[in-house]
Amino acid sequence: MKLLPSVAVAALSLTTAVAAVGWSFEDATLTVQAKSSGVGGAVKEKLSPESPLSDPVTLSASDSLKIVLTATEGTTGRRPHQAFLTLHEPTTGLVESFPFSLKDNGKGKVEFTPKDLPYQLASPPSGVALQASILIASFGTSAPYNHATFTLTLPPSPNEPLTAPETPERYAAKPEIHHQFRAGPAQPPRLLSTLFTFAILATLPVLLIVTTALGGNLGHVSAAFGAAPVAHGVFVGSLLAMEGVFFAYYIGWNLFQTLPVAGVVGIVAFVSGGRALTEVQERRVKGER
Amino acid sequence: MEMRLLLSLLLAGLVSTVAALSAQGSKLLVVLEDESEKSRYSQFWTDLEDRGFQLTYRTPKDPQLSLFRHGEPAYSHLLLLPPGKGTKGLGPNLTPNLLVDFISAGSNVLMALSGEQSIPSAVSSLLLEFDISLPPDRNSMVVDHFNYDSSSAKESHDVLLLPGKNAGGSKKGVADILSVDGILALPHAVGAVLGNASPLLNSIIKAPATAYTYNPKEEQEGVEDVFATGDQLSLVTAFQARNSARFTLLGSVEALQDAWFDTTVQHSAPGSKSEQAANRAFAQKLTGWTFKELGVVKAGPVTHFLNEGSQQNTSDLTTLSDINPSIYRINTEVHYTIELSTWSVDHWVPFTPPASDAVQLEFSMLSPFHRLNLAPTTTPANPNASLFTATFTLPDQHGIFNFFVEYRRPYLTNIEEKRTVTVRHFAHDEYPRSFVIMAAYPWITGIWTTVAGFVGFCALWLYSRPEKERVELKVKEAGGR
Repeated sequence: MKLLPSVAVAALSLTTAVAAVGWSFEDATLTVQAKSSGVGGAVKEKLSPESPLSDPVTLSASDSLKIVLTATEGTTGRRPHQAFLTLHEPTTGLVESFPFSLKDNGKGKVEFTPKDLPYQLASPPSGVALQASILIASFGTSAPYNHATFTLTLPPSPNEPLTAPETPERYAAKPEIHHQFRAGPAQPPRLLSTLFTFAILATLPVLLIVTTALGGNLGHVSAAFGAAPVAHGVFVGSLLAMEGVFFAYYIGWNLFQTLPVAGVVGIVAFVSGGRALTEVQERRVKGER
Repeated sequence: MEMRLLLSLLLAGLVSTVAALSAQGSKLLVVLEDESEKSRYSQFWTDLEDRGFQLTYRTPKDPQLSLFRHGEPAYSHLLLLPPGKGTKGLGPNLTPNLLVDFISAGSNVLMALSGEQSIPSAVSSLLLEFDISLPPDRNSMVVDHFNYDSSSAKESHDVLLLPGKNAGGSKKGVADILSVDGILALPHAVGAVLGNASPLLNSIIKAPATAYTYNPKEEQEGVEDVFATGDQLSLVTAFQARNSARFTLLGSVEALQDAWFDTTVQHSAPGSKSEQAANRAFAQKLTGWTFKELGVVKAGPVTHFLNEGSQQNTSDLTTLSDINPSIYRINTEVHYTIELSTWSVDHWVPFTPPASDAVQLEFSMLSPFHRLNLAPTTTPANPNASLFTATFTLPDQHGIFNFFVEYRRPYLTNIEEKRTVTVRHFAHDEYPRSFVIMAAYPWITGIWTTVAGFVGFCALWLYSRPEKERVELKVKEAGGR
């Protein structure tokens, strides 16, 4: 569709130069009548078929625009079959035409208000002016006329804002969506974790030193093992084995593996612990503790 | 299973030999007013027959004419030429209801109108079913005093000349299927106005900006009340239903006649040369599109798999152990592939979407969490289809999700492929262990320090020796008293 109008326009500029008889218009007046202003308060402009108006015409929401002209074939006034005022929105390419009502002698007029325009033309993007052209043509061999005549700006009305119609559905690719993932778990600074790890580790030597200072020792190991070697060996071994079971559970065992082993180790600790504590009691009775 | 596969292959082979060209079928019913009209379109019929269509000619009054047999469409395609003068409609066998049922059953219709004849109200009401409005005047014709054929319509300006490269709309992202080189001549065309609401409707050819409709029977000298002007008028209109059945409205039946296939035309703009009208090429494309030779897209197998571990970046899908699983875990990477092919003359070829368009995959639960453009690739292993692939990370939300490819575009048949999968959350033993988390080390150390302390305490309890001999407290106490 882009090619055709340009072809037509290029062709037309040729036609007007070459063809002797062509459609045109004369005595054209454009009037913008504001609703509030009375007679004589209207803006009037002379339209020329050769050159468009230099300044844009402003049409407010309450105004009405009227064009009066005489269509001519060659030099005589005649009624053409087609006499349109065409408004063209350059950004979307949308076009709306208003036919002139004409008399036999070619005199005609067209009148419209912004309310007659479809939404897409009545509210163009800000800064965009509608291109208005007059189109006069008929059957036969006379060259048709189609020229841009003026530009029309439609300031938005603050009192009655137009309601935009819903955008109709069209099949096309939709914008991409990428899922926004929740932020991962946050970690405290590694330095802090290391610091506290060592602080906790340091409690073990502190405990050892304090115990020693308060008189703790392992001086009866040989005596205890001499008196009841099996009971003490098995009891201490089962205590360590129970910690080993807990470690295995932490590393990979499940409860079904842990519980039987813990049960066996527990029974061994119970039985051997009884014997070992008997030996400890004997020492106490002897007054060695 | 294998037996069934073999059978279907055999059947597919049979079908492909019968349907030489159309992806749907070759039986074409032509409805025309009387036999004498047939000769005016001889080249058009020859073209269709050469392309493998089996043409059946019927008049609207023919008692044998029936669109359905045993409740199924009797023909794959229907071509309706304008009903003649004096007929009220298309007859009792072609009521709007029956035609809509015919399309609902998946068959395609090409309807041609002529501005030379008055349009029966049955046709207008059929077109209203598709949201296509014809002028209220039963006689109406499009004229353009700027783009007409000056060799055949010097006075009447009713043979419109339009560039064929704009056919099908040169819009961005729309498949260019119908455009032809050269210039199209549309004599005595009927213009229609299309409803704005439906995405199923598309104008293949719009009238030029300076065109308008009028009633040639009216004696009035100038038009003052015009139905529609410029490119609001659609001269050739495409409608593709949700079941991909196609309905085409050609505003000018004469464009298909022999007289306009070979004629030379001259644009009315001064200085333009005579040239051959491209009507024949356009008629081939238009019937090709309507009768499902062009713009037919088919979806092949859909594959998705976990793109992690041993399956990562697998190109040969046959080596995969776990293909199209029904369950995935959140936050895992998944690879998705769909095969799309398009019909070309008599076989399927890889499909490529039009420029600045993309096949999109939605990963959705109620609303899409991901909508991704799929990248097309072709593999030598499958020369008949292109693979559309995407690799993405599943959302961090568990639930029932769909891999959903919905490809609906003007002039292409609809694709809708949905695969439902479960996305589960982490199992209790799938979280990272505490020993790989630095922040857990103070706690781990605390536990094992306590363990060491307990063992130390036990040793102390069992084996500690008093430093001094125990003194007799009782004696001391007694002495003190």
